[in-house]
Amino acid sequence: MTSPSDTRAATATAQEEVAHPQGFPAGSLPIGREITGRILPPLVALATVFVLWWALYLVFPRLLPGPLSTLHEAVRLLSEGTFLFHMYQSLRRVFVGSIVAMFFSVAVGIYMGTVVMGERFFQPLVVLGLTIPGLMWSLIAVMLFGINEIAPYFAVAVTIFPMLVINIWAGVKALDKELIDMSHVFHFSPWMKISQVIVPQLVPNIFAATRYGLGLAWKVVVVVEMFGTSNGVGYQVMKAYQIFNMEAVIAWTLTFVAAMILIEYGVINLVERRLTAWRPKVEVWRR
Amino acid sequence: MAQLLVKGAEKWFRREDGRPLKILDRLSFEAREGCVTVVVGPSGCGKSTLLNVIVGLEPLDRGELVFLNNARELPRRPLIGYVFQSPRLLPWKTVGENIALALKGAGVDQREREGRVHRYLELVGLKEFVNQYPLYLSGGQRQRAGLARALAIESDLVLMDEPFASVDELTARQLRQTTRHLCEQLHRTVLFVTHNLAEAAYMSDFVVALTERPACMAEYLANPLPSPRQWSPEIYGFAAELESKVTLKEEGDL
Repeated sequence: MTSPSDTRAATATAQEEVAHPQGFPAGSLPIGREITGRILPPLVALATVFVLWWALYLVFPRLLPGPLSTLHEAVRLLSEGTFLFHMYQSLRRVFVGSIVAMFFSVAVGIYMGTVVMGERFFQPLVVLGLTIPGLMWSLIAVMLFGINEIAPYFAVAVTIFPMLVINIWAGVKALDKELIDMSHVFHFSPWMKISQVIVPQLVPNIFAATRYGLGLAWKVVVVVEMFGTSNGVGYQVMKAYQIFNMEAVIAWTLTFVAAMILIEYGVINLVERRLTAWRPKVEVWRR
Repeated sequence: MAQLLVKGAEKWFRREDGRPLKILDRLSFEAREGCVTVVVGPSGCGKSTLLNVIVGLEPLDRGELVFLNNARELPRRPLIGYVFQSPRLLPWKTVGENIALALKGAGVDQREREGRVHRYLELVGLKEFVNQYPLYLSGGQRQRAGLARALAIESDLVLMDEPFASVDELTARQLRQTTRHLCEQLHRTVLFVTHNLAEAAYMSDFVVALTERPACMAEYLANPLPSPRQWSPEIYGFAAELESKVTLKEEGDL
Protein backbone atom coordinates (compact mmCIF):
# COMPACT_ATOMS: atom_id res chain seq x y z
CA MET A 1 0.00 0.00 0.00
CA THR A 2 1.01 3.60 -0.36
CA SER A 3 2.68 5.56 2.35
CA PRO A 4 0.96 8.78 3.51
CA SER A 5 3.73 10.84 1.92
CA ASP A 6 3.15 9.19 -1.45
CA THR A 7 -0.55 9.86 -1.22
CA ARG A 8 0.05 13.49 -0.27
CA ALA A 9 2.43 13.89 -3.20
CA ALA A 10 -0.08 12.39 -5.62
CA THR A 11 -2.85 14.58 -4.23
CA ALA A 12 -0.73 17.69 -4.57
CA THR A 13 0.12 16.75 -8.13
CA ALA A 14 -3.51 16.24 -9.00
CA GLN A 15 -4.46 19.56 -7.48
CA GLU A 16 -1.85 21.29 -9.60
CA GLU A 17 -3.63 19.87 -12.65
CA VAL A 18 -6.96 21.43 -11.74
CA ALA A 19 -8.35 23.09 -14.81
CA HIS A 20 -11.68 24.08 -13.37
CA PRO A 21 -12.70 25.00 -9.86
CA GLN A 22 -14.42 22.24 -7.96
CA GLY A 23 -18.22 22.29 -8.14
CA PHE A 24 -20.32 23.46 -11.01
CA PRO A 25 -20.44 26.96 -12.32
CA ALA A 26 -23.30 28.81 -10.74
CA GLY A 27 -26.47 28.09 -12.69
CA SER A 28 -28.18 31.34 -11.76
CA LEU A 29 -27.35 34.74 -13.22
CA PRO A 30 -27.59 38.12 -11.49
CA ILE A 31 -31.20 39.37 -11.49
CA GLY A 32 -30.60 42.02 -14.19
CA ARG A 33 -28.99 39.55 -16.57
CA GLU A 34 -31.62 36.96 -15.65
CA ILE A 35 -34.37 39.33 -16.82
CA THR A 36 -32.64 40.49 -20.00
CA GLY A 37 -31.15 37.08 -20.82
CA ARG A 38 -33.93 34.62 -20.06
CA ILE A 39 -37.25 36.27 -19.37
CA LEU A 40 -37.29 39.21 -21.77
CA PRO A 41 -36.77 37.42 -25.14
CA PRO A 42 -39.81 35.10 -24.89
CA LEU A 43 -41.92 37.97 -23.55
CA VAL A 44 -40.92 40.16 -26.49
CA ALA A 45 -41.77 37.31 -28.89
CA LEU A 46 -45.25 36.91 -27.34
CA ALA A 47 -45.81 40.68 -27.31
CA THR A 48 -44.93 40.85 -31.02
CA VAL A 49 -47.60 38.26 -31.84
CA PHE A 50 -50.09 40.13 -29.69
CA VAL A 51 -49.33 43.46 -31.40
CA LEU A 52 -49.60 41.91 -34.88
CA TRP A 53 -52.93 40.32 -33.92
CA TRP A 54 -54.22 43.64 -32.65
CA ALA A 55 -53.13 45.39 -35.84
CA LEU A 56 -54.92 42.77 -37.95
CA TYR A 57 -58.01 43.12 -35.80
CA LEU A 58 -57.98 46.90 -36.36
CA VAL A 59 -57.72 46.39 -40.13
CA PHE A 60 -60.24 43.48 -40.34
CA PRO A 61 -62.57 43.90 -37.32
CA ARG A 62 -65.33 41.71 -38.82
CA LEU A 63 -63.00 38.86 -39.78
CA LEU A 64 -61.01 38.50 -36.61
CA PRO A 65 -61.97 38.77 -32.94
CA GLY A 66 -59.94 41.25 -30.90
CA PRO A 67 -57.24 40.08 -28.47
CA LEU A 68 -59.04 41.61 -25.48
CA SER A 69 -62.42 40.03 -26.19
CA THR A 70 -60.68 36.69 -26.80
CA LEU A 71 -58.82 37.09 -23.55
CA HIS A 72 -62.12 37.83 -21.86
CA GLU A 73 -63.57 34.64 -23.35
CA ALA A 74 -60.53 32.68 -22.16
CA VAL A 75 -61.03 34.02 -18.63
CA ARG A 76 -64.70 33.02 -18.80
CA LEU A 77 -63.70 29.50 -19.88
CA LEU A 78 -61.19 29.25 -17.07
CA SER A 79 -63.80 30.29 -14.53
CA GLU A 80 -66.17 27.55 -15.77
CA GLY A 81 -66.04 24.32 -13.82
CA THR A 82 -65.82 22.14 -16.94
CA PHE A 83 -62.63 23.74 -18.30
CA LEU A 84 -60.23 21.68 -16.20
CA PHE A 85 -62.16 18.51 -16.98
CA HIS A 86 -61.87 18.98 -20.76
CA MET A 87 -58.26 20.10 -20.54
CA TYR A 88 -57.41 17.08 -18.41
CA GLN A 89 -59.07 14.75 -20.92
CA SER A 90 -57.04 16.14 -23.82
CA LEU A 91 -53.74 16.22 -21.95
CA ARG A 92 -54.25 12.65 -20.75
CA ARG A 93 -54.78 11.49 -24.33
CA VAL A 94 -51.67 13.36 -25.48
CA PHE A 95 -49.50 11.87 -22.75
CA VAL A 96 -50.72 8.29 -22.85
CA GLY A 97 -50.38 8.19 -26.65
CA SER A 98 -46.93 9.81 -26.49
CA ILE A 99 -45.64 7.50 -23.77
CA VAL A 100 -46.80 4.42 -25.68
CA ALA A 101 -45.10 5.76 -28.83
CA MET A 102 -41.94 6.68 -26.90
CA PHE A 103 -41.67 3.22 -25.34
CA PHE A 104 -41.85 1.45 -28.69
CA SER A 105 -39.75 4.01 -30.56
CA VAL A 106 -36.83 3.77 -28.10
CA ALA A 107 -36.86 -0.03 -28.43
CA VAL A 108 -37.20 0.01 -32.23
CA GLY A 109 -34.72 2.90 -32.65
CA ILE A 110 -32.05 1.10 -30.61
CA TYR A 111 -32.78 -2.14 -32.49
CA MET A 112 -32.49 -0.39 -35.87
CA GLY A 113 -29.26 1.35 -34.90
CA THR A 114 -27.56 -1.75 -33.53
CA VAL A 115 -28.81 -4.66 -35.69
CA VAL A 116 -28.41 -4.49 -39.46
CA MET A 117 -31.38 -6.77 -40.09
CA GLY A 118 -33.49 -4.60 -37.80
CA GLU A 119 -32.56 -1.52 -39.83
CA ARG A 120 -33.42 -3.28 -43.08
CA PHE A 121 -36.74 -4.48 -41.73
CA PHE A 122 -37.99 -1.29 -40.10
CA GLN A 123 -36.58 1.39 -42.41
CA PRO A 124 -39.24 1.04 -45.16
CA LEU A 125 -41.99 0.84 -42.52
CA VAL A 126 -40.77 4.03 -40.83
CA VAL A 127 -40.54 5.89 -44.13
CA LEU A 128 -44.03 4.67 -44.98
CA GLY A 129 -45.30 5.84 -41.60
CA LEU A 130 -43.80 9.29 -42.12
CA THR A 131 -45.81 9.79 -45.29
CA ILE A 132 -49.19 9.09 -43.67
CA PRO A 133 -50.79 12.29 -42.31
CA GLY A 134 -52.05 12.43 -38.72
CA LEU A 135 -55.53 13.26 -40.01
CA MET A 136 -55.66 9.92 -41.83
CA TRP A 137 -54.65 8.05 -38.69
CA SER A 138 -57.32 9.97 -36.75
CA LEU A 139 -60.01 8.85 -39.21
CA ILE A 140 -58.74 5.28 -39.30
CA ALA A 141 -58.55 5.15 -35.49
CA VAL A 142 -62.17 6.30 -35.02
CA MET A 143 -63.38 3.90 -37.74
CA LEU A 144 -61.41 1.02 -36.22
CA PHE A 145 -62.11 1.55 -32.54
CA GLY A 146 -65.25 3.69 -32.52
CA ILE A 147 -65.94 6.49 -30.07
CA ASN A 148 -63.84 5.46 -27.12
CA GLU A 149 -60.47 6.15 -25.49
CA ILE A 150 -58.48 3.68 -27.61
CA ALA A 151 -58.96 5.78 -30.75
CA PRO A 152 -57.02 8.91 -29.63
CA TYR A 153 -54.30 6.83 -27.97
CA PHE A 154 -53.83 4.81 -31.13
CA ALA A 155 -53.92 7.84 -33.45
CA VAL A 156 -51.34 9.74 -31.38
CA ALA A 157 -49.03 6.76 -30.97
CA VAL A 158 -48.93 5.72 -34.63
CA THR A 159 -48.65 9.32 -35.89
CA ILE A 160 -45.65 10.30 -33.81
CA PHE A 161 -43.98 6.88 -33.70
CA PRO A 162 -42.06 7.25 -37.03
CA MET A 163 -40.72 10.72 -36.08
CA LEU A 164 -39.55 9.46 -32.72
CA VAL A 165 -37.94 6.36 -34.25
CA ILE A 166 -36.05 8.47 -36.82
CA ASN A 167 -34.60 10.62 -34.01
CA ILE A 168 -33.63 7.71 -31.78
CA TRP A 169 -32.21 5.75 -34.72
CA ALA A 170 -30.06 8.73 -35.77
CA GLY A 171 -28.84 9.04 -32.18
CA VAL A 172 -27.92 5.36 -31.98
CA LYS A 173 -25.98 5.58 -35.25
CA ALA A 174 -23.96 8.45 -33.76
CA LEU A 175 -23.15 6.57 -30.53
CA ASP A 176 -19.58 6.85 -29.29
CA LYS A 177 -17.98 3.51 -30.27
CA GLU A 178 -15.13 4.07 -27.83
CA LEU A 179 -17.55 4.10 -24.88
CA ILE A 180 -19.26 0.97 -26.16
CA ASP A 181 -15.86 -0.75 -26.39
CA MET A 182 -15.07 0.46 -22.87
CA SER A 183 -18.28 -1.09 -21.57
CA HIS A 184 -17.34 -4.37 -23.26
CA VAL A 185 -13.82 -4.32 -21.81
CA PHE A 186 -15.15 -3.76 -18.29
CA HIS A 187 -17.70 -6.58 -18.65
CA PHE A 188 -20.84 -4.41 -18.46
CA SER A 189 -23.97 -6.56 -18.64
CA PRO A 190 -26.36 -5.94 -21.59
CA TRP A 191 -28.67 -4.00 -19.26
CA MET A 192 -25.77 -1.85 -17.97
CA LYS A 193 -24.74 -1.13 -21.56
CA ILE A 194 -28.26 0.02 -22.45
CA SER A 195 -29.05 1.95 -19.28
CA GLN A 196 -25.63 3.45 -18.47
CA VAL A 197 -23.96 3.83 -21.88
CA ILE A 198 -26.50 3.88 -24.72
CA VAL A 199 -29.61 5.63 -23.34
CA PRO A 200 -27.70 8.55 -21.72
CA GLN A 201 -26.12 9.27 -25.10
CA LEU A 202 -29.61 9.36 -26.60
CA VAL A 203 -30.95 11.93 -24.12
CA PRO A 204 -30.64 14.90 -26.55
CA ASN A 205 -32.38 12.88 -29.27
CA ILE A 206 -35.09 11.72 -26.87
CA PHE A 207 -35.80 15.30 -25.77
CA ALA A 208 -35.84 16.60 -29.35
CA ALA A 209 -38.21 13.77 -30.25
CA THR A 210 -40.39 14.42 -27.20
CA ARG A 211 -40.81 18.10 -28.03
CA TYR A 212 -41.63 17.37 -31.64
CA GLY A 213 -43.85 14.45 -30.69
CA LEU A 214 -45.88 16.41 -28.13
CA GLY A 215 -46.41 19.23 -30.61
CA LEU A 216 -47.73 16.79 -33.15
CA ALA A 217 -49.65 14.69 -30.62
CA TRP A 218 -51.88 17.48 -29.43
CA LYS A 219 -52.82 18.35 -33.02
CA VAL A 220 -53.86 14.73 -33.61
CA VAL A 221 -55.77 14.57 -30.32
CA VAL A 222 -57.73 17.70 -31.15
CA VAL A 223 -58.72 16.24 -34.53
CA VAL A 224 -59.80 12.91 -33.00
CA GLU A 225 -61.77 14.73 -30.30
CA MET A 226 -63.61 16.78 -32.91
CA PHE A 227 -65.43 13.76 -34.28
CA GLY A 228 -64.51 10.79 -32.12
CA THR A 229 -65.12 11.77 -28.48
CA SER A 230 -67.67 13.60 -26.38
CA ASN A 231 -65.22 15.63 -24.30
CA GLY A 232 -61.83 17.31 -24.53
CA VAL A 233 -60.54 20.54 -26.04
CA GLY A 234 -61.11 19.38 -29.62
CA TYR A 235 -64.74 18.56 -28.82
CA GLN A 236 -65.22 22.04 -27.28
CA VAL A 237 -63.57 23.73 -30.28
CA MET A 238 -65.93 21.83 -32.59
CA LYS A 239 -68.92 22.93 -30.53
CA ALA A 240 -67.78 26.56 -30.71
CA TYR A 241 -67.20 26.21 -34.45
CA GLN A 242 -70.73 24.90 -35.00
CA ILE A 243 -72.19 28.08 -33.49
CA PHE A 244 -69.50 30.16 -35.26
CA ASN A 245 -68.07 31.48 -31.98
CA MET A 246 -64.58 32.36 -33.16
CA GLU A 247 -63.61 33.93 -29.85
CA ALA A 248 -64.26 30.62 -28.09
CA VAL A 249 -62.36 28.68 -30.78
CA ILE A 250 -59.30 30.89 -30.34
CA ALA A 251 -59.68 31.01 -26.55
CA TRP A 252 -59.72 27.19 -26.30
CA THR A 253 -56.73 27.01 -28.62
CA LEU A 254 -54.82 29.61 -26.61
CA THR A 255 -55.48 27.90 -23.30
CA PHE A 256 -54.31 24.59 -24.69
CA VAL A 257 -51.19 26.23 -26.14
CA ALA A 258 -50.57 27.85 -22.74
CA ALA A 259 -50.83 24.45 -21.07
CA MET A 260 -48.33 22.96 -23.53
CA ILE A 261 -45.92 25.87 -22.96
CA LEU A 262 -46.20 25.32 -19.22
CA ILE A 263 -45.34 21.66 -19.73
CA GLU A 264 -42.40 22.61 -21.96
CA TYR A 265 -40.92 25.12 -19.52
CA GLY A 266 -42.17 23.64 -16.27
CA VAL A 267 -41.47 19.97 -16.89
CA ILE A 268 -39.44 19.12 -19.99
CA ASN A 269 -36.86 21.90 -19.61
CA LEU A 270 -36.36 21.14 -15.92
CA VAL A 271 -35.96 17.41 -16.48
CA GLU A 272 -33.58 18.00 -19.38
CA ARG A 273 -31.49 20.43 -17.34
CA ARG A 274 -31.29 17.90 -14.53
CA LEU A 275 -30.31 15.05 -16.83
CA THR A 276 -27.64 17.08 -18.62
CA ALA A 277 -26.15 18.73 -15.53
CA TRP A 278 -22.88 16.93 -16.27
CA ARG A 279 -22.37 18.98 -19.42
CA PRO A 280 -20.52 22.31 -19.06
CA LYS A 281 -22.46 25.22 -20.50
CA VAL A 282 -21.14 26.37 -23.85
CA GLU A 283 -21.33 30.03 -24.79
CA VAL A 284 -20.37 30.33 -28.42
CA TRP A 285 -20.89 34.08 -28.60
CA ARG A 286 -19.59 35.45 -25.34
CA ARG A 287 -20.96 38.79 -24.29
CA MET B 1 -3.01 -11.46 -11.05
CA ALA B 2 -1.85 -13.66 -13.89
CA GLN B 3 0.83 -14.28 -16.42
CA LEU B 4 -0.03 -13.87 -20.10
CA LEU B 5 1.47 -16.04 -22.81
CA VAL B 6 0.94 -14.91 -26.38
CA LYS B 7 1.65 -17.89 -28.65
CA GLY B 8 1.97 -17.53 -32.40
CA ALA B 9 -0.66 -14.79 -32.61
CA GLU B 10 -1.76 -13.91 -36.13
CA LYS B 11 -4.28 -11.28 -37.14
CA TRP B 12 -5.51 -10.13 -40.52
CA PHE B 13 -7.76 -7.30 -41.53
CA ARG B 14 -9.53 -6.96 -44.86
CA ARG B 15 -8.67 -3.93 -46.95
CA GLU B 16 -11.39 -1.92 -48.71
CA ASP B 17 -10.59 -3.68 -51.98
CA GLY B 18 -11.03 -7.05 -50.24
CA ARG B 19 -7.35 -8.06 -50.10
CA PRO B 20 -6.15 -9.36 -46.73
CA LEU B 21 -3.77 -7.25 -44.66
CA LYS B 22 -1.62 -9.06 -42.14
CA ILE B 23 -1.22 -7.16 -38.88
CA LEU B 24 0.31 -9.66 -36.45
CA ASP B 25 2.64 -12.38 -37.70
CA ARG B 26 3.32 -15.37 -35.44
CA LEU B 27 3.85 -13.09 -32.47
CA SER B 28 4.93 -14.82 -29.29
CA PHE B 29 5.99 -13.34 -25.97
CA GLU B 30 5.06 -13.39 -22.31
CA ALA B 31 3.90 -10.72 -19.88
CA ARG B 32 5.31 -11.89 -16.56
CA GLU B 33 3.26 -11.91 -13.41
CA GLY B 34 3.69 -8.76 -11.34
CA CYS B 35 5.87 -7.07 -13.97
CA VAL B 36 5.40 -4.26 -16.46
CA THR B 37 6.00 -5.50 -19.99
CA VAL B 38 6.25 -2.69 -22.49
CA VAL B 39 5.52 -3.29 -26.15
CA VAL B 40 7.31 -0.85 -28.44
CA GLY B 41 7.23 -0.65 -32.18
CA PRO B 42 6.82 1.71 -35.10
CA SER B 43 3.56 3.64 -35.49
CA GLY B 44 0.90 1.54 -37.20
CA CYS B 45 2.69 -1.78 -36.61
CA GLY B 46 -0.28 -3.29 -34.76
CA LYS B 47 0.40 -2.53 -31.10
CA SER B 48 -3.16 -1.37 -30.37
CA THR B 49 -4.57 -4.28 -32.38
CA LEU B 50 -2.59 -6.60 -30.14
CA LEU B 51 -4.27 -5.10 -27.06
CA ASN B 52 -7.69 -5.28 -28.72
CA VAL B 53 -7.10 -8.96 -29.42
CA ILE B 54 -6.02 -9.63 -25.84
CA VAL B 55 -9.03 -7.85 -24.36
CA GLY B 56 -11.45 -9.54 -26.75
CA LEU B 57 -12.50 -6.59 -28.90
CA GLU B 58 -11.01 -8.34 -31.95
CA PRO B 59 -10.83 -12.10 -32.55
CA LEU B 60 -7.48 -13.78 -33.05
CA ASP B 61 -7.14 -15.48 -36.44
CA ARG B 62 -4.45 -17.93 -35.41
CA GLY B 63 -2.43 -18.68 -32.30
CA GLU B 64 -3.57 -18.53 -28.71
CA LEU B 65 -3.56 -16.46 -25.55
CA VAL B 66 -2.94 -18.31 -22.32
CA PHE B 67 -3.53 -16.82 -18.90
CA LEU B 68 -1.65 -18.59 -16.14
CA ASN B 69 -1.98 -18.25 -12.40
CA ASN B 70 0.71 -20.06 -10.41
CA ALA B 71 1.62 -21.99 -13.59
CA ARG B 72 -2.00 -23.19 -13.99
CA GLU B 73 -4.34 -21.99 -16.69
CA LEU B 74 -7.10 -19.69 -15.45
CA PRO B 75 -10.34 -21.67 -15.27
CA ARG B 76 -12.47 -18.60 -16.10
CA ARG B 77 -12.59 -15.65 -18.49
CA PRO B 78 -9.70 -13.40 -17.41
CA LEU B 79 -10.53 -10.05 -15.86
CA ILE B 80 -8.66 -7.31 -17.68
CA GLY B 81 -8.29 -3.65 -16.75
CA TYR B 82 -7.65 -1.19 -19.56
CA VAL B 83 -6.22 2.31 -19.55
CA PHE B 84 -7.12 3.77 -22.92
CA GLN B 85 -5.31 6.48 -24.86
CA SER B 86 -8.29 8.75 -24.18
CA PRO B 87 -9.77 8.08 -20.74
CA ARG B 88 -13.20 6.91 -22.02
CA LEU B 89 -15.03 7.89 -18.86
CA LEU B 90 -18.81 8.19 -19.05
CA PRO B 91 -19.28 11.98 -18.93
CA TRP B 92 -22.75 11.73 -17.32
CA LYS B 93 -21.34 9.77 -14.38
CA THR B 94 -19.11 11.18 -11.68
CA VAL B 95 -15.57 9.91 -11.34
CA GLY B 96 -16.64 7.71 -8.43
CA GLU B 97 -19.64 6.34 -10.33
CA ASN B 98 -17.43 5.53 -13.33
CA ILE B 99 -15.17 3.40 -11.17
CA ALA B 100 -18.12 1.84 -9.34
CA LEU B 101 -19.65 0.77 -12.66
CA ALA B 102 -16.43 -0.98 -13.68
CA LEU B 103 -16.43 -2.68 -10.29
CA LYS B 104 -20.03 -3.76 -10.80
CA GLY B 105 -19.09 -5.17 -14.23
CA ALA B 106 -16.25 -7.06 -12.57
CA GLY B 107 -18.73 -8.60 -10.13
CA VAL B 108 -17.48 -6.78 -7.04
CA ASP B 109 -19.95 -6.83 -4.17
CA GLN B 110 -21.90 -3.59 -3.71
CA ARG B 111 -20.69 -3.18 -0.11
CA GLU B 112 -17.08 -3.35 -1.23
CA ARG B 113 -17.40 -0.96 -4.16
CA GLU B 114 -17.44 2.30 -2.23
CA GLY B 115 -14.35 1.37 -0.26
CA ARG B 116 -12.44 0.43 -3.38
CA VAL B 117 -13.49 3.60 -5.19
CA HIS B 118 -12.11 5.75 -2.40
CA ARG B 119 -8.97 3.65 -1.93
CA TYR B 120 -7.92 3.79 -5.58
CA LEU B 121 -8.87 7.43 -6.06
CA GLU B 122 -6.65 8.19 -3.09
CA LEU B 123 -3.82 6.17 -4.66
CA VAL B 124 -3.96 8.23 -7.85
CA GLY B 125 -4.42 11.51 -5.98
CA LEU B 126 -8.05 12.17 -6.89
CA LYS B 127 -9.74 11.54 -3.56
CA GLU B 128 -11.36 14.98 -3.52
CA PHE B 129 -12.80 14.52 -7.00
CA VAL B 130 -14.96 11.47 -6.35
CA ASN B 131 -18.19 13.43 -6.96
CA GLN B 132 -16.87 15.47 -9.86
CA TYR B 133 -17.99 14.97 -13.47
CA PRO B 134 -15.16 14.10 -15.90
CA LEU B 135 -15.75 17.13 -18.15
CA TYR B 136 -14.85 19.38 -15.22
CA LEU B 137 -11.44 17.73 -14.80
CA SER B 138 -8.18 18.43 -16.63
CA GLY B 139 -6.81 15.91 -19.13
CA GLY B 140 -4.29 14.61 -16.61
CA GLN B 141 -6.93 14.17 -13.92
CA ARG B 142 -9.18 12.26 -16.31
CA GLN B 143 -6.31 9.95 -17.17
CA ARG B 144 -5.68 9.41 -13.44
CA ALA B 145 -9.37 8.50 -13.06
CA GLY B 146 -9.00 6.02 -15.95
CA LEU B 147 -5.95 4.56 -14.22
CA ALA B 148 -7.86 4.25 -10.93
CA ARG B 149 -10.70 2.46 -12.75
CA ALA B 150 -8.33 -0.05 -14.39
CA LEU B 151 -6.52 -0.77 -11.12
CA ALA B 152 -9.61 -0.82 -8.89
CA ILE B 153 -11.09 -3.94 -10.46
CA GLU B 154 -7.94 -5.76 -9.31
CA SER B 155 -7.75 -7.63 -12.58
CA ASP B 156 -5.59 -10.48 -13.78
CA LEU B 157 -3.94 -8.17 -16.29
CA VAL B 158 -3.86 -4.41 -16.89
CA LEU B 159 -3.49 -3.15 -20.44
CA MET B 160 -2.31 0.39 -21.12
CA ASP B 161 -2.50 1.75 -24.65
CA GLU B 162 -0.29 4.85 -24.93
CA PRO B 163 -2.12 6.26 -21.91
CA PHE B 164 -0.09 9.47 -21.71
CA ALA B 165 0.00 10.31 -25.40
CA SER B 166 -2.87 12.78 -25.20
CA VAL B 167 -1.53 14.95 -22.34
CA ASP B 168 1.26 17.52 -22.28
CA GLU B 169 4.80 16.35 -21.50
CA LEU B 170 4.95 17.71 -17.94
CA THR B 171 1.66 16.04 -17.00
CA ALA B 172 2.74 12.88 -18.82
CA ARG B 173 5.91 12.76 -16.74
CA GLN B 174 3.91 13.05 -13.50
CA LEU B 175 1.50 10.37 -14.68
CA ARG B 176 4.36 8.03 -15.61
CA GLN B 177 5.82 8.41 -12.15
CA THR B 178 2.46 7.74 -10.47
CA THR B 179 1.75 4.74 -12.71
CA ARG B 180 5.17 3.15 -12.36
CA HIS B 181 5.07 3.75 -8.62
CA LEU B 182 1.64 2.05 -8.32
CA CYS B 183 2.70 -0.88 -10.52
CA GLU B 184 5.71 -1.48 -8.26
CA GLN B 185 3.58 -1.20 -5.11
CA LEU B 186 0.60 -3.26 -6.23
CA HIS B 187 2.63 -5.87 -8.18
CA ARG B 188 0.22 -5.85 -11.09
CA THR B 189 0.82 -7.65 -14.37
CA VAL B 190 0.82 -4.81 -16.88
CA LEU B 191 1.14 -4.81 -20.64
CA PHE B 192 2.00 -1.27 -21.68
CA VAL B 193 2.05 -0.13 -25.29
CA THR B 194 3.97 2.93 -26.44
CA HIS B 195 6.04 4.23 -29.29
CA ASN B 196 7.93 6.58 -26.96
CA LEU B 197 11.21 4.83 -26.18
CA ALA B 198 12.12 6.97 -23.16
CA GLU B 199 8.72 6.14 -21.71
CA ALA B 200 9.35 2.45 -22.46
CA ALA B 201 12.72 2.62 -20.73
CA TYR B 202 11.21 4.25 -17.65
CA MET B 203 8.08 2.14 -17.33
CA SER B 204 9.32 -1.34 -18.22
CA ASP B 205 10.58 -4.39 -16.43
CA PHE B 206 10.68 -6.15 -19.78
CA VAL B 207 10.45 -4.78 -23.31
CA VAL B 208 8.99 -6.47 -26.36
CA ALA B 209 10.25 -4.72 -29.49
CA LEU B 210 8.10 -5.28 -32.56
CA THR B 211 9.00 -5.05 -36.21
CA GLU B 212 7.08 -2.99 -38.75
CA ARG B 213 3.74 -4.38 -39.94
CA PRO B 214 3.08 -7.28 -39.94
CA ALA B 215 4.38 -7.17 -36.40
CA CYS B 216 6.48 -9.99 -35.07
CA MET B 217 8.91 -9.89 -32.20
CA ALA B 218 12.25 -8.24 -32.99
CA GLU B 219 13.66 -8.36 -29.48
CA TYR B 220 12.72 -9.29 -25.92
CA LEU B 221 14.79 -7.37 -23.37
CA ALA B 222 14.98 -7.20 -19.61
CA ASN B 223 15.29 -3.67 -18.29
CA PRO B 224 18.57 -3.46 -16.35
CA LEU B 225 17.55 -0.32 -14.43
CA PRO B 226 16.78 -0.72 -10.72
CA SER B 227 13.40 -0.41 -9.06
CA PRO B 228 11.96 1.76 -7.58
CA ARG B 229 12.54 3.64 -10.79
CA GLN B 230 13.84 7.22 -10.85
CA TRP B 231 14.26 9.57 -13.78
CA SER B 232 17.99 9.47 -14.52
CA PRO B 233 20.37 9.68 -17.48
CA GLU B 234 20.43 5.87 -17.53
CA ILE B 235 16.81 5.97 -18.72
CA TYR B 236 17.94 7.71 -21.88
CA GLY B 237 20.86 5.28 -22.23
CA PHE B 238 18.45 2.32 -22.21
CA ALA B 239 16.12 4.21 -24.57
CA ALA B 240 19.02 4.61 -27.01
CA GLU B 241 19.66 0.88 -26.78
CA LEU B 242 15.98 0.27 -27.56
CA GLU B 243 16.19 2.60 -30.52
CA SER B 244 18.82 0.41 -32.07
CA LYS B 245 16.39 -2.52 -31.86
CA VAL B 246 13.33 -0.75 -33.21
CA THR B 247 12.93 0.80 -36.61
CA LEU B 248 10.80 3.90 -36.17
CA LYS B 249 8.90 5.28 -39.11
CA GLU B 250 8.69 8.79 -37.78
CA GLU B 251 11.36 11.02 -36.35
CA GLY B 252 10.99 12.60 -32.96
CA ASP B 253 9.42 9.60 -31.27
CA LEU B 254 12.11 9.59 -28.61
